[in-house]
Order: sequence, then structure tokens, then C-alpha cells
Amino acid sequence: MDLSEYILEPLRKDGEFTLYRGQHRNPEHARRSSILLMAPMSRHRAPSNLIQVGHERSLSYELDLAWDVRPIGVVQHDKQPVLVLENPAGEPLEALIRQRMETGQFCRIALVKAFEEIKRLNDRLQGENVTLREQVDHASDPALEIKHLRRCINDLAGVLMFPVVWRGREPAEILATFVDSLMAMLKLDFFYARVMLKAGERPLEVLRVGPSYQTSEESGQISELIAEWIKERRGEPPPQARRQIGNREIAFFPMRMGIEGELGLIVAGSQRAEFPKQTESLVLGVAANQLAIRLQQALLLSEQKRAASELDRRVAKRTRQLAEINEELQLQAEMLQHLPVSAWTLKPDGTPDFVNQVWLEFSGQTLDFVRSHPEAWMTAVHPEDRETASRAFRDGVRSGKGFAIETRSLRAKDGTYRWHLQQAVVLRDAEGKVVKFVGTTTDIDDQKRAEEELRTSEGKLRRVIDTIPTLSWCNLPDGPNEFLSKSWHEYTGLSPEEAHGWGWSAAFHPDDLLPFMKRWQELLISGQPGEIEARLRRYDGEYRWFLIRVAPFRDETGAILRWYGTSTDIHDQKLAQNQALRSEAFLAEAQHLARLGSFSWRVSTGDIKWSEQLYRIFEFDPGISVTLDLIGSRIHPEDLPVLDSMIGSAQRAQTDLEYQLRLLMPDGSIKFLHLVAHASPDHEGQLEYVGAVQDVTQRQLAEAALAKARSELAKVTRIMSLGVLTASIAHEVNQPLSGIVTNASTCLRMLDSTPPNLEGARETARRAIRDGNRASDVISRLRALFGKREVTAEPVDLNEAVREVIALSLSDLQRHRVILQLELSERLPLLNGDRIQLQQVVLNLLRNASEAMSGVEDRPRRLLITTEQQGKDIRLTVQDSGVGLAPSDVERLFESFYTTKEDGMGIGLSISRSIIEAHHGRIWVTANAGPGATFAFSIPCEHSS
Amino acid sequence: MIETQLLISVVDDDQSVRESLPDLLKEFGFAAQVFSSAEEFLASDTVMKTKCLILDIAMPGMTGPELHRELERRRLTIPVIFITGHRDEAVRSRMHEEGAVECLFKPFSDTALLEALNKAVPDR
Repeated sequence: MDLSEYILEPLRKDGEFTLYRGQHRNPEHARRSSILLMAPMSRHRAPSNLIQVGHERSLSYELDLAWDVRPIGVVQHDKQPVLVLENPAGEPLEALIRQRMETGQFCRIALVKAFEEIKRLNDRLQGENVTLREQVDHASDPALEIKHLRRCINDLAGVLMFPVVWRGREPAEILATFVDSLMAMLKLDFFYARVMLKAGERPLEVLRVGPSYQTSEESGQISELIAEWIKERRGEPPPQARRQIGNREIAFFPMRMGIEGELGLIVAGSQRAEFPKQTESLVLGVAANQLAIRLQQALLLSEQKRAASELDRRVAKRTRQLAEINEELQLQAEMLQHLPVSAWTLKPDGTPDFVNQVWLEFSGQTLDFVRSHPEAWMTAVHPEDRETASRAFRDGVRSGKGFAIETRSLRAKDGTYRWHLQQAVVLRDAEGKVVKFVGTTTDIDDQKRAEEELRTSEGKLRRVIDTIPTLSWCNLPDGPNEFLSKSWHEYTGLSPEEAHGWGWSAAFHPDDLLPFMKRWQELLISGQPGEIEARLRRYDGEYRWFLIRVAPFRDETGAILRWYGTSTDIHDQKLAQNQALRSEAFLAEAQHLARLGSFSWRVSTGDIKWSEQLYRIFEFDPGISVTLDLIGSRIHPEDLPVLDSMIGSAQRAQTDLEYQLRLLMPDGSIKFLHLVAHASPDHEGQLEYVGAVQDVTQRQLAEAALAKARSELAKVTRIMSLGVLTASIAHEVNQPLSGIVTNASTCLRMLDSTPPNLEGARETARRAIRDGNRASDVISRLRALFGKREVTAEPVDLNEAVREVIALSLSDLQRHRVILQLELSERLPLLNGDRIQLQQVVLNLLRNASEAMSGVEDRPRRLLITTEQQGKDIRLTVQDSGVGLAPSDVERLFESFYTTKEDGMGIGLSISRSIIEAHHGRIWVTANAGPGATFAFSIPCEHSS
Repeated sequence: MIETQLLISVVDDDQSVRESLPDLLKEFGFAAQVFSSAEEFLASDTVMKTKCLILDIAMPGMTGPELHRELERRRLTIPVIFITGHRDEAVRSRMHEEGAVECLFKPFSDTALLEALNKAVPDR
């Protein structure tokens, strides 16, 4: 510090200080390097407003932190120590002083140390002349002493100057310099310094040993001594001490830094006996404080530096990143411009601020136009879509969520509207504020159209699937279900969840499930389409037969992707089919049993189809082609004309056929055939005969045999009736015979009497003759009834015939105690027939009636015979009050060999029927309202028999 | 003489019997009454006077044997001679068992009738 470079002028007196302003002589540095000098007014008296500040709060520290004013040292000026301050930032010091000085604090703090030191120096140099003089005297060389003191002053000034030297240094470096400087300055034998830089960190330690302790052993001893000494005195200021190192005594002078020693400790050591002198301890004290202050400052600076460099590093990195981002952004902007889609950005309020080239080309607008017309994009939107689009756009912008709108937009090139997807996302800054909306406009017309078509066709397909009365479904390649049509769910009543996977199998009939699964597995393995029949349970529990058809769907490599299938309700067909099969079987069986064959004959083509049985009847090999010639070869020669006429009439016109034909078989046997055919147009409109041919040979033979048997039976019946009637006949004959005998006997007795009773004799003889005639009548009737003669047709009075039968049966009826009642119509016409046969029928009916009443004891055995005319018929009824008939008997009563009587043969009524039917009449029986039954027959009065 | 003539009743539905038999009975010295049915006989006042009954077996309505049993039921012990047109030995033996004097098959001789009458009214 050379004050000669400065023009010094007294500035003012402030309280008890005098202030000087130092202006640099070089005008270039004048402003920047102005200095301020401060000097106390009195050399001996401290200003009253000075406040003592501790070592820990150093002057420069205060000043540095509070102001941009830095004390740079204390120098001699005008034989007076002054504090020199400078302002590195170049602030006008005057202003600073004026501003700060008024607080009074500045001066007080700034000079407290300097004044104290200066005062002490002055006291020692001048004020305490006696002591100094004594010391000087004592030192025998006052000049030397003065020199020594001057040196001390210089040392002090040097010490105070340390901070200037140390500026910007690292703490370790500062410490080292400090130690070395004091070693040299005070000519010490060792110097130890220990500084606590930060709480919790290892203290910084330096030990310098002077040339007198060059052996490592001695320096080691010093080090140990200090360590031990410090340890012993922890928390307390270590006292001064003298120790023996090697063969020499050394004085230890410790000094703490900071009020409690929390900043550190210095220990100075010297072999000199007077060590430390007052001046030396003063220098050490000032130095220690300076060190402490400077180290703190240095530490702070180094931290600031580190922070600054970290900040620099970060700034650099950020800058780099920003550069990269910028580059990227440029690339992106470039890309955006040339992307093959329409891209654009919007300001937070929704006005467009950028659209890329593609958009402009598509819309035929310009960027300027778009920017100046915020609604321009809307003009390109199809009018129908504008309202919706505009609303979605506004909502998206307002909410800051962005939007996705599908619109039809006008393509400028050809003026067509195409579907577009307008999508915008929002960009926000770090605080969440909307910066921009970024969006694209994508042409989705083709996609949309395809979607639409797909949707339409899917909808159609879906409708078809759900509507067709077939259940359809789709299974995954390994079998489980993926899809079942609505109809499937409706039919089974199973929900999609229930049917999922393999759940659909629950719909199968338990008996069908296993076979189905087996078959399904086979199909899965073989990969072939197939069909299966199974019963599926309907929602109401009914099982119905389904035809399940399934086919695989493959990709290009042939791998199966899905199995598609349908289930068709074939329940009714299945039943019908079963029914048809059974019917067919029945029919074949029936045809076989009935010896009935069926055929069809298409006249135009001559195509003839025969049933199996017909081949059997004709005894042709089955399957042989049937022709009219072939048929002709079997026909009996006598019937060939019949066949020819039949074929002829059939070919001429549509007519129904019924013919009797005979076959002459190769073995000479004859078959009787009954042919019936119905003509109708076939499905092609051609004339077709469908008919049946029955082998009636057996029937013919049987009928012939039956007719023979019946006539024989009739004879037998007559004979049997004769036998049965013998008693009755005998009775009928015996009655007149009895009369004859009695009359004759009486007659003889009358003639023999005396006198002879001639009159009586004549009378009795006459009665005998009458009875004889009666007997003759009976005989002649019997002859007529039982005489063997052929059937004749003659006019018959039915009433008369009935009376004759009754006459013959009377005794029989009497014997059975039958009360006979006759109600014969008086005006009955004659009928044409066989009197005797009809009488046989009547006789039979009377006998049956009589027998039916033979067990009746609780009521009259009444028998009512009536005849009457009913229209053209004559009817006869025989009503008894016998045991009656069971309904089942009524049906069969007229069958041969059917009888309700224990001893009957069951032929009477069947013969009666054949007789009545031969007279073109009919015979029947009805049960009475009361007991008994009524037999009746009716015969037309006139017919050509 | 008239008082000594015993009354014989004849019940038969056959007219020739009813005409011829009374004359023969008178020749035998009996008085005779004829009836065409059992019901007619029972209804008449002749029942109590009848010393012997000549009775046809088969008649419409009440039969001969039924009339016989009816008389027995009324404790009227009238000797009965059955006559019948049916030559049936089984019937005759059954009539005997039932207490009939005789059963004659038509036509019967005057002596067979007289014999039966003598058995029926031995104290004549």
C-alpha cells in the first residue's frame, strides 16, 4: 500500500474520527481505486461511541459482508495510524460513507481493532515512555530496542496485511503461509496451528519446527507434547508452560481462536527465555485472529466458488441440452412440415399458428390466410359436420384436453369431401399452462368406408346368424367355444357365461354327449368337416334332435383358425323319418301278409315300378325290368283279352281300373289277382297309374270252400234242426193222433153200448177224421221243411210262412213256457224268395229266443214276433226277454262258429245271414231297453233275384 | 145214480183232447169237466169236487206239474193222471216221484186210461 499514489484530502470529521478521501493520482484509476482513510481524533483516547468487538467478529469480516468496502490495512499517515479502506466494486465511497456512517456503526466497528492496537502501540512507544525507557535501558541498547519496536510495528502492520496476501487462497495454503510467516517473523523454534474449518470435520493442523529441532525425534516429541497438552486441557484454555525437549527448555505459548477456542488453536514455541515478549504475544494474538477470520472467509469463498463452478457446470450442461433440443426442435419442425399427414398447431386460445405443407396442399389455403382467418379450417369441413366439429373443437380448447373429431373435409384438388380424423393434444409448460395444441388431420375416408362396409356386412351377417332358425357357433381350434349365436342361447336358455369354454356341453342329452365328444375329438384331430346328430336340451327341459354340422376355417398355411358350425333342429324330421321307416317296414310286412303288391305305371314311357311283394306274386326275380309283355307272359291265356282291354282303356283315357285276372304259373298252378289302380297326373303332368294287386287265390279258394261248406252246413243244420224238432214234431203229430185214438175208442164204446149211441158215435168218428186231417197237415209241412230240394224263388207271404213255423214250434215254445205274442201286419206285400229258407231263418230265431229265455224265472218269458213294411222293405223282428247280449257279442254273433250258448255250434245265425243276404236283405240284432235282445231282418219286397 | 158219478176234471190246452176225452170218461161212468188252462181250473169251483185230475204237462202259463204242486201246497190231495205228447220216460218217472198216479204218453189207449183211473179212485 503506497499512499503516495493517492491525493489525500481531509473529508470531514465524523464524531471522534477524521476521514480522509484518497483519490488516485492517475485519473484512469481515480474512480475505481478511491480509498478512504480513517483516523481517530485523539491518539490517547478512544472515541466514546466505540464498541469493543470480539476477535471472532473481525472488522473486515463485518465490512466485507455488509458493504462492498474492504479494509486493506492500517498505515502510518502524518505520524498517525490510519485504516485504509477501498471499494473494489468502484462505488463512490463518499456516498457509501455518507450513507452508512450516519449509523455510527461503521466507524465503531471499523476502527475498534485498529484503535486498540494503535493505542497500545502508542502507549508503548510514547505514552509509556518510562517503561519503554526502562526496557530500553535494560536492553542497554536503546537504539536496538527502538529498532525492535519498530520491527514489531511493522510486523503488526504485516500481520494486518495478511488478508490482502491471502485473498483467494485455499485454507490449507493460507495456514501454511501463515505459519511460515510467523515462524520467520518471530524467529520461533516451532509453531503449531490447528484450525477447525467446519464442525465435525477433521481440523487442519500444521506444525513447523525450527532449525534447532531438526531431528525427527525432537519434532516428534513436540508433536506428542502438543497433542497430549491439548488433550489434557480439553475445553479449557491451555496455560503457558515451559517444557524440556531434549536437553533444552522451551516455552509453549498457546493462543485460542474464537471466544471459546472453537475456531482453533495456535501454539508458539521458543527457547528464548523472555519468550513471549509483550510485543510477540501482541503479534501472535493479532495474527491468530487474522488467521481465523481469513480462514473463515476463505472457506466461505471456496464454498462460493464451488457453488459457482457447480452452477457454471449446470448452466453449461443446460445450454448444451438446450442446443440439442433446439436442434431436435428444428428437425421436428422440419419433419412436421414434410410429414405425409396434415399437421398443425394452435395457440392456447385455439387460433391456428402453424399448418404444414400437406394441410395447405389438401385444403388449398395459405398459411397467411389460415393465420389471419382463425375459422378458415371450418370452411373446409362438410356443412353437416360443422356444428358437431365446432362444438368438440371449442370444448377441447376450452378444457385444455385437446380433441379428436371425425369430419368430412373438402379436398381442394378435386372438390370431394373425405372423412378425416382431426386430433389435437395439448402441450403445457412446467407450471401446467397451456403452451400450444399440436394436432394432425388424418385421411380416414378409406378406413371409414371400409369400417362402414364392414359394419354393414357384419350387421347383416349378424342379423342372418341371429335370425336364421339354425343355431350357429364358432369354436377355437382346440375345441372350446368362442361364439354362440343368439338363437343358440335362446334355445338352450344358457347364458354366454354358462356356455363359455366347454360349458355348452351342458346342453347335450346325457346319452348323446359322450358319442358327440368322441366324434368331436375325431374331427379336431382329423381337421375334417363333419356332422353329428345329437339331442339338445331346450330351455324348458325338452330334448330335441339336432343335426350338428361343423367345418374348419383355415389360414393360408392350412392351420385351423376356427371351427364354424350350425345346429339344425331336425327333431320333427327325425321322428317323421323314424315313423316313415317304421311305416315302410309295416307296409312291406303288411303287403307280404296281405299278398298285396303295389305298382306305378307311367303310360307315356311305359315305365313300370313294382313293389317287392308284386315280384313275389308274379314269381319274377326282384329287380328285373317289368314290361307289359313280361306281365302278359304270366297272364292266364283265357284272361289275355281282359288284360288287353284294360291296357287299351288305360292308355286311352284317365280312368280308375278294377280287374280280376288270373295268372298261369310255370308249374301250372293258377293265381287269382285282384287289381285296383287310380289314375292321376304325376309331378310332370304325365298320366300315371298307381295301384295295388292282391293275390286273392287263397281267398278265392277259401270262398269256394266256404260256399261249399255253407251249403253242406245248411243241410246239416236242417238235419240237426230236424233232430231237435223231433220231439216237437212228435208232439204236433201226437196231439191229433191222441184225438183220433180217443175219439175212435169212444166211438166203439158208444156203438157197443146198449142201445148203441149212434149219434155220439157219429160225432166222435167225425172228430177222429178231423184229427186225422190235422196230422196229415203236420206231416206235409214237415216234408216241405225238411224235404231235400233246390232253392227256389217264388212269391212268399211272410206272415203265412211265420204262422206255419209257429205252428211247428208251438209245442216247443210251450215246453219252454214261452208266452208268444204275434203282431203281424195285415197288409204285408209278398216278397220274392225261398219260402222254406226264410222259414228256416224264422225257426232259428224262435229257437234262439226260446233258449235265451230258458233260464229266466223271475219274469214272463215273453216272445214278440212282428212283421211290418218299411218303405220297400219287409221287416221281421223277434224280441225276447232273455239273458240279452254283451256288446262284444253283437259284432260277432253272425260269424260262423261263434256262439254264446254252451251247447251251441255257432252256425245258426251265420247261415241265417247268408240266407238273408242271398235275398239282398240284411239281418241284425239290438239289445233291448229292458231285458233281452231283438233280432231282425229286412228284405226288399221286390227285386230281380 | 147221478150222485154216485165221480167228477173227473181234464186240464189241457189242446182242443181235440178237451173234445174227445169227456165222452170217453162218460162212457166209463164218470162225470167230466174240461179246462183249457191250469189258471182256469184253479179259478173254478170244481177244484173241491174233483175226485181225479187228468192234467196235460206242457201248457202255456202254469204247467201241469206246477198246478200239481200248487194243489199239494193247498193240501188238496186230488189224484193226478198226467198226459203228455212227449214220449219221455225220464219225465214219467219224475212225475211218479212227485206223487202222480200215472203219466200217459199221447196217444194212449182207453184201457190204459181206465186202468189209471181205477188206480186213482179205487173205491169207486
